[in-house]
Amino acid sequence: MRGELHYDVVVIGAGTAGLVAGARLAEGGARVCVVAKGVGSTHLAPGTIDVLGYAPDRVVSPSGAMEEFVVRHPDHPYARLGVDAVAEAVRWFEARVEAGPVPGYRYLGDLDRNYLLPTALGALRPSAVIPETMTAGDSVVMDRVCVVGTRTLRDFHAALCATNLNRVGIPARSVEADIEVDRADQNSLGLARRFDDPSWRAAFAGRLALKLQADERVGLPAVLGIRDPHSAWSDLEHRLGRSVFEIPTLPPSVPGMRLYEILRSALRAAGGRLVLGGEVVSADREGSRVTAVSTHAAGHNSRWAAEWFVLAAGGFNSGAIELDSHWATQDRVLGLPLRGLPAPGEPRFVGDYLAEQPMSRVGVAVDAELRAEGADNVLVAGAALPGAVPWREGSGEGIALASGSRAAQLVLARSGAPAGAAA
Amino acid sequence: MATLSTDVLVIGGGATGAGVAWDAALRGYDVVLVDRFDLAEGTSGRFHGLLHSGGRYAVKDPHAAEECVHENRIVRNIASDCIEDIGGFFVTTPWDDPEYADKFAQGCRATGVDCEEISPSQAFREEPRLNPSISRVFRVPDANIDVWKTVWAMARGAQERGARVLPYHAVVGIHRTGDQVTGARLRGHATGEEVDVEARVTVNASGAWAGQIAEMAGIEGVRVLPGRGIMIAMNHRIVNTCINRCQMPTDGDIIVPMRTVCIIGTTDEHTDDPDDHHVPPTEVDQMLEDGEKLVPGFREARALRVWTGVRPLFEDAKASDTQTRDVTRAHALLDHAERDGVNGFVTITGGKLTTFRLMAEDTMTAVSRHLGDERPCLTKTEPLPGSEDHATYMLGERLERKEKHLADEQLICECELIPRWKLEEAIRRRATTNLDDVRRLLRLAMGPCQGGFCIYRAAGILHGLDGLSAEQADESLLNFLKERWKGTWPILYGDQLRQTRLDEWIFQGVLDVQHLPTAEAQEVSP
Repeated sequence: MRGELHYDVVVIGAGTAGLVAGARLAEGGARVCVVAKGVGSTHLAPGTIDVLGYAPDRVVSPSGAMEEFVVRHPDHPYARLGVDAVAEAVRWFEARVEAGPVPGYRYLGDLDRNYLLPTALGALRPSAVIPETMTAGDSVVMDRVCVVGTRTLRDFHAALCATNLNRVGIPARSVEADIEVDRADQNSLGLARRFDDPSWRAAFAGRLALKLQADERVGLPAVLGIRDPHSAWSDLEHRLGRSVFEIPTLPPSVPGMRLYEILRSALRAAGGRLVLGGEVVSADREGSRVTAVSTHAAGHNSRWAAEWFVLAAGGFNSGAIELDSHWATQDRVLGLPLRGLPAPGEPRFVGDYLAEQPMSRVGVAVDAELRAEGADNVLVAGAALPGAVPWREGSGEGIALASGSRAAQLVLARSGAPAGAAA
Repeated sequence: MATLSTDVLVIGGGATGAGVAWDAALRGYDVVLVDRFDLAEGTSGRFHGLLHSGGRYAVKDPHAAEECVHENRIVRNIASDCIEDIGGFFVTTPWDDPEYADKFAQGCRATGVDCEEISPSQAFREEPRLNPSISRVFRVPDANIDVWKTVWAMARGAQERGARVLPYHAVVGIHRTGDQVTGARLRGHATGEEVDVEARVTVNASGAWAGQIAEMAGIEGVRVLPGRGIMIAMNHRIVNTCINRCQMPTDGDIIVPMRTVCIIGTTDEHTDDPDDHHVPPTEVDQMLEDGEKLVPGFREARALRVWTGVRPLFEDAKASDTQTRDVTRAHALLDHAERDGVNGFVTITGGKLTTFRLMAEDTMTAVSRHLGDERPCLTKTEPLPGSEDHATYMLGERLERKEKHLADEQLICECELIPRWKLEEAIRRRATTNLDDVRRLLRLAMGPCQGGFCIYRAAGILHGLDGLSAEQADESLLNFLKERWKGTWPILYGDQLRQTRLDEWIFQGVLDVQHLPTAEAQEVSP
């Protein structure tokens, strides 16, 4: 044991839900530490705030569709959280973005209308609140699009994107950009670092301008800067004299990494602590309360004691919930009871790739206030919650923001912190 | 309708059929090779990849063992580029009859299997993950064989000598005039266009489907009982030597290291339908349990993919009653002139992959007789294209190359280390729009992520290279994902389920593949 640390609240998981919970707890005056095995799904997802995209038809207005959606899915996290909680969390988030470490970077949009954003495949994906750098891609606007790719980035294929956009009626073509790089392979992050460099960017824009036609919007892979994306994006718009927008690539997701930096910064600015690289290996309990968790890193265990715990470690995707080779399912973090499992004898998965899989809605069982069943001082947030299929619904960040916020508010309300501190 | 004219029409593009085409081309005959799907997509592409030393049959079927000994030596030499010399152990576990080991050693001596008993401690030094309670170990010259590479090398070699190879052409009728078979009518998979092939001799090398093809020629009683078996690929080289249980052949008794993975096999269930590919959950559990007996901790590895293959177990209704499966693993050459009075038609079925070359030789020797100019077989010594230097494949070849070209080659598939130029070359050479064809050629998407990252890239490259329409590229991508899912969903657990969730996030979340125009069109149509 390396040592014992004591906090008011320990948050397990450093994805969107965990970082939001941690930041809001810290802002509310709690002494909080976020411990996690590693970063969460921010680095994999497109970096947009998806609230409700499909139900199962494409959703035009998340706020408008929510009422019927929760009636049809009474076990969904939204049925416990309500649309107002999502809206409140989004407002909190937008304020943190503006105050954040990425100057000028903004998120735009609201819950009343989804943007329709081109994917790297050229499908149109609905999302409610998105980085400003993506807004010109909104396909409600049918202006001509030039999708710009580069051979060196294998995770974005502009021609395929453009031809698929054509199929849904958006006039689009593609061009290959010449890029000065020293190796045949660049991932999104490597290119984003280049775009942070003003002189490199100017040379890129100069060469690209020659290939563009009048009245075209320009769609680029989402690699326009990691440290200073607002400058990169607005500089390109200025130099090219037209709207420029980012299209998410395969992981690693640069907009997702910016989102992570914003949330991490909010946590730290409020005095919270973040410790990565420590997987929770055991928990101490007293009756129906968890008193401490132990993490393992670099050959040592550390013990984290707290009054409250927020479990935001994700589901099967992160390994927090596991289906083992004997077909038993367990919460590997705290060993809490699960919900959403197919009944014994029912299939866990089905052969139709495009169908919803029976194992998709598994999560840690909670009561109406997100309190884990069987652990009075554990609140659950994000993808650890049962009842949702975020990658099909387009609901991941909405759930994460609202449930992370709610968990923070519930803890603060019960632990006697100054009233309204989390708001 | 197009008409092709040839000496030999070969129906069935598995290892046997491609072997017949290669043998025929080397003998100087004109040949047309057809398959209803891709080459080696049937039984040949659905086995565990073992080139038998003969040990497996040393007690049960000495004749088959001798054939394996002989063919193993030849195939290592002529198809060296497709072979990895992994070697094999036969191990006695606590669950095996201890008396079998001596019978095994004796059987190997009698049949010429090159077999040496080594101490368990030596075996554990070489394979530290083996079950420590193994009591006896025999070393044999097992190898693995990349069957897709082998089959395409034979097809390419035949093409270089004038053969025409038509994958995705199903036989819709056999032409028969009186007692003479004169060829077949084919239908192209993509276009539906029909092609007539006029052939002096037609070879039915359709394996488990041989009875169906024979019936089209009006020949009854060619009964091939499909024996379905499952195999599971695990994500590591858990072992680097082929591990066989030292017992009478049974289910789940072999682990074959194959390129970046290990394959455990297999079961044997009779089925009436050779296209039956369902995976019973009990058989998955049985494989994992059996794997655990050979390598404790086997269950902790990730199961990447499961598939089933059907052995063609031949039972000639016209011959004396052959009841047992043991007898029917031998191959059967039916000269229908002798058997049924039908000229110009020969069926080759049964057998096992290790003896594909011998099956092809026997077949072409009979065909050559029909053609009236008995030309000699050359396949014993002629190397397949790519194997001219007789050097066997070494695991690590791709990595070695990648390290040399770290900065100047783009990697498309990280799991299998496939550079962009290699993918582009394969797409051009095959002129295919089917990513599953590319998978078989290059092992694209066969590693741990099962295409999570490389398949979008490959679809983008395919689209750009071939000037493919978006419809075709999307269809190719979606078909690949659906095809992959068939082999994934029955074995999803542990970290592979986690991997699959990432893949779902990528395709359904980031790319929104299920809402491409094609998918929507498919959803509204009945």
